[in-house]
Amino acid sequence: MVKKMSDHYYEEEEFTESFNGRTILRIFRHGWNHWPLMLGFIVGIGMVSLMESYMTYLTKRIIDEGIIPGDMTAVWSISLQYMLLFVLFAVFVYLFIMSAGTLGHRVQYDLRKQMFAHMQKLSLSYYDRTTTGWLMSRTMSDPTRVGDLVSWGFLDIMWAVMSIISAVGFMLWINWRLALVTLVVIPLLAVAAMQFEKHILREYRLVRKLNSMITSSYSEMINGVRVIKSLRREERNLGQFGELAGDMYQASYRAAWLSALFLPVVQLISAVGVTAVVWFSGREFQNGAVTIGGLQAFVSYITFMMWPIQELARVYATMQQAIASGERIFSLLDTKPTIVNAPGASDPGSLRGDILFDNITFQYEEGKPVLTDFTLEIKQGETVAIVGPTGAGKSTLVNLLCRFYEPSAGTVRFGGRDYRTMTLHSIHSRIGMVLQTPHLFSGTVLENLRYGRLDATDEEVVAAARLAGAHEFIIDLDEGYETQVGEGGVLLSVGQKQLISLARAVLAKPDVFIMDEATSSVDTLTEALIQQGMETLMDGRTSFVIAHRLSTIKNADRILVIENGGVSEMGTHAELIRQRGHYYNLYTKQFREEKAEAYGLELAPANGNDTNLSLAV
Amino acid sequence: MSKQALNLEETVVENRLISFWRLLTGHRLLYLTAVIALGLAALAQTGIFYLLRYFVDTVLPSETLAVQLPWVALGFVGLALLQGGFTFTSGRLAAYAAEQIALEVRNYLYDHIQRLSFTYHDNQQTGELLQRATSDVEALRKLFAEQGVGIGRIVLMFAVNFVAIVAINGRLALYSIVIIPIVLIIAVYFFKKVGEVFDAFQEQEAVLSNRLQEHLTGIRVVKAFARQEYELERFEDDNYEKFRRGRRLSKMHAIFWPSTDVLTGLQMIAGFYIGAQMAIEGTITVGAFLAYAGFLGQIIWPIRNLGRLIADISTGDVAFTRIKQIMRETREPLAEQGTVVPGPDGLRGEVVFRHVDFAYDADTPVLHDIDFAVRPGQVVALLGGTGSGKTSLVGLLPRFYDYTGGSITLDGVELREYRRQELRQQIGIVMQEPFLFSGTVRDNIAYGAGRVVTQEEIVAAAKAAAVHDVIMSFPKGYDTVVGERGVTLSGGQKQRVTLARTLLINPRILILDDATSSVDTETEAEIRSALLTLMQNRTTFVIAHRIQTVMTADLILVLENGRIVQRGTHDDLVDKPGIYQQIYDLQARIEEELEEDLAAVDGYQNGYAMVGSR
Ligand SMILES: Nc1ncnc2c1ncn2[C@@H]1O[C@H](COP(=O)(O)OP(=O)(O)OP(=O)(O)O)[C@@H](O)[C@H]1O
Ligand SMILES: Nc1ncnc2c1ncn2[C@@H]1O[C@H](COP(=O)(O)OP(=O)(O)OP(=O)(O)O)[C@@H](O)[C@H]1O
Ligand SMILES: [Mg+2]
Ligand SMILES: [Mg+2]
Repeated sequence: MVKKMSDHYYEEEEFTESFNGRTILRIFRHGWNHWPLMLGFIVGIGMVSLMESYMTYLTKRIIDEGIIPGDMTAVWSISLQYMLLFVLFAVFVYLFIMSAGTLGHRVQYDLRKQMFAHMQKLSLSYYDRTTTGWLMSRTMSDPTRVGDLVSWGFLDIMWAVMSIISAVGFMLWINWRLALVTLVVIPLLAVAAMQFEKHILREYRLVRKLNSMITSSYSEMINGVRVIKSLRREERNLGQFGELAGDMYQASYRAAWLSALFLPVVQLISAVGVTAVVWFSGREFQNGAVTIGGLQAFVSYITFMMWPIQELARVYATMQQAIASGERIFSLLDTKPTIVNAPGASDPGSLRGDILFDNITFQYEEGKPVLTDFTLEIKQGETVAIVGPTGAGKSTLVNLLCRFYEPSAGTVRFGGRDYRTMTLHSIHSRIGMVLQTPHLFSGTVLENLRYGRLDATDEEVVAAARLAGAHEFIIDLDEGYETQVGEGGVLLSVGQKQLISLARAVLAKPDVFIMDEATSSVDTLTEALIQQGMETLMDGRTSFVIAHRLSTIKNADRILVIENGGVSEMGTHAELIRQRGHYYNLYTKQFREEKAEAYGLELAPANGNDTNLSLAV
Repeated sequence: MSKQALNLEETVVENRLISFWRLLTGHRLLYLTAVIALGLAALAQTGIFYLLRYFVDTVLPSETLAVQLPWVALGFVGLALLQGGFTFTSGRLAAYAAEQIALEVRNYLYDHIQRLSFTYHDNQQTGELLQRATSDVEALRKLFAEQGVGIGRIVLMFAVNFVAIVAINGRLALYSIVIIPIVLIIAVYFFKKVGEVFDAFQEQEAVLSNRLQEHLTGIRVVKAFARQEYELERFEDDNYEKFRRGRRLSKMHAIFWPSTDVLTGLQMIAGFYIGAQMAIEGTITVGAFLAYAGFLGQIIWPIRNLGRLIADISTGDVAFTRIKQIMRETREPLAEQGTVVPGPDGLRGEVVFRHVDFAYDADTPVLHDIDFAVRPGQVVALLGGTGSGKTSLVGLLPRFYDYTGGSITLDGVELREYRRQELRQQIGIVMQEPFLFSGTVRDNIAYGAGRVVTQEEIVAAAKAAAVHDVIMSFPKGYDTVVGERGVTLSGGQKQRVTLARTLLINPRILILDDATSSVDTETEAEIRSALLTLMQNRTTFVIAHRIQTVMTADLILVLENGRIVQRGTHDDLVDKPGIYQQIYDLQARIEEELEEDLAAVDGYQNGYAMVGSR
């Protein structure tokens, strides 16, 4: 059985330190950026807890001043105070909910914004390794946990701590020996918390990790659903997903019941405290060290303390969850982009000028060099065609030119200037690249075209579409330029998508134009129509054309054959034919075969290639 | 281990209570136990409070303190144990039920989504589906893990304390709960309000999720056009809107909570007032009033929380409604009852199209009056302009979409009569856009086999797709991991891996939709000759743009705007004026030029003459 696919690659990073105080601090700082809100809920919750204790006092007054003397007017006036207090109480409740709620959403917003902004800086090599689902769960679901901790979590902690401190204070004041007895439970609680922390955090880390794996799994399934259906993978996919979901179940169930165990343990420990007080109070009372009133107050403070302690226990468990999420968020934010603007990098103003690939060596992975000591000079305005077997490194070459990846040795020079001294934006915005896999965004055709140049007028957009041979089919669509293309352009045919992405790049009016198999799925008649337009476009503009079709490349000023990490042949079409090298073979062999087929002739078997197999099993 | 593919279809009913109840299938007893256990835990805690009061009021001042003390202490420990035990039981059982439900819903949704029709997926956004499958499921899980169990605590605490008050004075008891209907009305009002606001919030989360998902899949385009700023702005808009809606949600709570607080507060004061009056009038004793004051606090708490609970449940309800919207979509039937299953030897592969019409959506027909017949083992080539309907035509065969008019028969049986599952097993399609899954090359090639495949079979398929040598050149060979969608492979490598994947399933009908567009001419020739052997005895549909790929076909169909405008073999068509001839001429002209170029090259004569003279 095929192993779980998701197991192989994106090895989720492991967080091993058992307790990361820095993570909490960092989370806290995100909240503190909006200190007025934090202050708002601190004041709100502080007032609320004060008022709550005052209410207990009012109740006592109703009894003492109203009922016992039988004074209805006193009852009435105290009740009135009580009511007023409630109105005030409501105001502060509103204040703390509003500030905590807003803060929580605000922190989520901040984190998402930061992550998204950071993602803009990360290099393509990062995206090669990272699944969409991973990034989705990082950006969508993890901030929710952190936001909850910063707002509701801290709020509860604040409330609990304030209540506990005030209670302990009063207890110390009433009878310090008894109070010390109750404080014995604190080390007990700390030990229990530490024990649990290890386990709960571990489980929550696992839960967060599985959560992102599940998101990836969903994401990949939805993106590949057409393939899944055509290959009838439904059953087996469900089986694999079921395992993942099963693991998720196990981990979150464990985490949940560990947290559920923590609460009763805390309850028990605090009951031990109560019992200790009960036990010792008898003696203290008989010694006369405490009055019955004092004892009553003491006891009510203890009971009052049990709530905040339990609350702390609950928050403690969710805090582990938020820490696990925070770690993941910060791991994204801390990822250094591999390609950054060098200090002092500047915008050259234009990329026009000769281009030099200066002794470039490049590999995606160690031990698998794609280009070695590659040197090539291209004159301003030249049209260069790049051909070569698949996987030779054609796309890689233009990716390096765009600085999507940086060479491990050597550099690219525009007009003699090392491109590492330029800003990334200045390079990207002046190179128009039509990617090998066309991708459109959901929205209308017009919106997609305009992505090439945001301020283009409608006329310019139409002109670009005409040039790219897209105008004709676009106006035939249901709503013309306003037709929705669907996610990734699914509502269009592949050729149509290619034409739109071509037009999009044309609209950008770049200094350097790159077409990476831009018309591979376009029919030959349309392609012939475009050819003319493309030639005007490329006139005076340095251009790179990668294509397999002879018709697309033969008019280039220069054709490069890329093979085995370098240029194996170079020249115009006629020169290369004359050289009788690879290029000659590539096209004449094909040509001869075609002729042979056309005349119904037998072919010599392709040399050395065992293609005579039967797949029938 | 896990119960898979539980049919949740029947949970999808309008009535939300029934829906939730059905969702609990199999865990009802457990869940009820959890609910009750939490109530008992709350009672135990109440017990601790009362024991403490009893201790201070009665035991401490008494003479027999020393005798009673151990018993009281024991009582505390006992109650605490009870409380702890019940809390744990409840927490554990509720977690179990909630996680089980989450598991079932996740599995069901996963399966359901992958079985929804192509049309559904064409019009659905990945980000939104993802959001519903994750965030909404999480909200639903929370409903069962946290909010649902709270009912027990509320009901039991209310019941016990209410009874205690009734025991003091029936009328007083009634006066103490007059607020309940009002709290309920407000809660129901907020249930709707919070629901609406939460729905809007989740909706925006889905928008944000879509934005992100699309951004990530199109990251290369973003970078190529240096549109980071623009993307940031767009993300900012959606993100800020989410914050705004989140704030509005907080505001709903911020209004709702204090309003119930004030109401229940008033109730409490009213209770005190009436109770005090009764005590002063002598209807009840002062002692009874003191007891009543204690109980009153314990009865107000559940009432106040009932309101909050109801408002909170609305979030789970909204989330579940959003999930139900997906569940309600009908699946693409894969194995309907009573339909034709191809025999054990598989299909012969005779395909007949009779006046077939097709439209993705009713008002824009894509194919008109498609009419042709293919005998088993023949090769049909489809040629035509961009968007002329080639992909749409072949997509009808595996029943990705169903034709809207005319008839298609396969081995003499109407296509619609076949079960999709077996049909797709017999039809192998190499799609125009290669899609790989993250995993190893080996896993990807074996992806569709549906059985254990040997290394030899994988190698054989890879060789036929001319990708074996390439794979072997990778340091890790077949264990090389390809990135998401196969990003770490070159375009041609990806395409050939998908070809190998389809060849491995050994289909009776093979469809190659522009399957070699990203492959260089030399490799393409290699693949073509390998396929020549493979295509024998298989009905094959080939879509291509180059004449040399289609010229050997038994039947060439030329499409234009969804109609067949020309048909025949290469020899029939090449001499007839029409699209085919135009394409041929265009390509022939290039070849002629090449021929001239070649003629200009020394020694060429020999090379060409050798072939030409035979
Ligand atoms: N992102 C990547 N990470 C790792 N390896 C890669 C990556 N992209 C390409 N490669 C590898 O680098 C080599 C060159 O790939 P490249 O895409 O440049 O080929 P190409 O010449 O454009 O081929 P094609 O004509 O098939 O598009 C291939 O072996 C490929 O597997
Ligand atoms: N999923 C879809 N939903 C709605 N319309 C679609 C869908 N897919 C394609 N179309 C439309 O149907 C028409 C035919 O598309 P189809 O993909 O069949 O063309 P094609 O002949 O394969 O073109 P190409 O050579 O570019 O691949 C096009 O106008 C296209 O916009
Ligand atoms: Mg490429
Ligand atoms: Mg197509």
